[in-house]
Amino acid sequence: MTVSAPDAASSPDREDHLVAGFAALAIAIHILEAAFPSPMPGVKPGLANVVTVVVYLRYGIRTAAWVAMLRVLVGSMLIGTFLSPTFLMSATGACASLVVLGIVGSLGRYLVGAVGLSLAAAFAHMAAQITVAYLVFIPHPAILSLTPILMTAALIFGSVSGLIAASVDGLLRSGDGRGK
Amino acid sequence: MRLVRPGDMVVFVLAAGLVGASYAYFWGPRAEGDTAVISVGHRPVAEISLLEDATVPVEGLIGDSVLQVEGGRIRFIDSPCPGRYCIHMGWIDRTGEVAACLPNGVVVEIRGGHREFDAINL
Repeated sequence: MTVSAPDAASSPDREDHLVAGFAALAIAIHILEAAFPSPMPGVKPGLANVVTVVVYLRYGIRTAAWVAMLRVLVGSMLIGTFLSPTFLMSATGACASLVVLGIVGSLGRYLVGAVGLSLAAAFAHMAAQITVAYLVFIPHPAILSLTPILMTAALIFGSVSGLIAASVDGLLRSGDGRGK
Repeated sequence: MRLVRPGDMVVFVLAAGLVGASYAYFWGPRAEGDTAVISVGHRPVAEISLLEDATVPVEGLIGDSVLQVEGGRIRFIDSPCPGRYCIHMGWIDRTGEVAACLPNGVVVEIRGGHREFDAINL
């Protein structure tokens, strides 16, 4: 998305605008969330993932990946954790949840909706983070003993985000219907 | 458009199962230790086996604490402290578990077996 001669190859197209808009929304949520105190490192609602799931449902995995990656990158720069352990964990978590989104999403849109996608993504996110925390930062069994708590958090927050994503997606769909 | 679809419930049940399994796996039965190290202050004063039942008096900073070993477990049964927290701690038997009488400076830690934690932060 370079700003130069307005030829077709380099000028932002519709998808670029979409990605930028959704990424900005996700980054705002990400930063708002970072401002809230967390009961435990690694436990936070992950409401920014609502954006990822909604974008995935509406525009597919490519756009969702752009939005998620931009969120992690820009969010970490704004919060000040770029290239820190937090950044590595968040990037790995985002990658893992995108992969799982793609897999679970391909099972059939009418079978698995936003809640299932969000739950699966939350678990992938958590599993990737625990793995990175254990293998890279603190190779001590005590980290693994946190797994049940973190998984419980993933279950609760994944379901909540999923319900939010499902209703947002529903509202957007009905909005589409009226627009046409 | 319904918010929750059949597949969502399947995913939820699988996820809940995974959470349950993680509790069982990571917080399940732990290794039992076979010795207890008794320290007064920062100095270890004795290491006793938990395989033999015994009653062990330990001279602490303000008096004698009495420890009881029975069936691979150990507990404080008496201590000259005001709160008696050490006694209320009850039996300990897992490697890494600690019972302490801070006023008397007596600390008991289970050793041996497979060590799982070196600190528990509640």
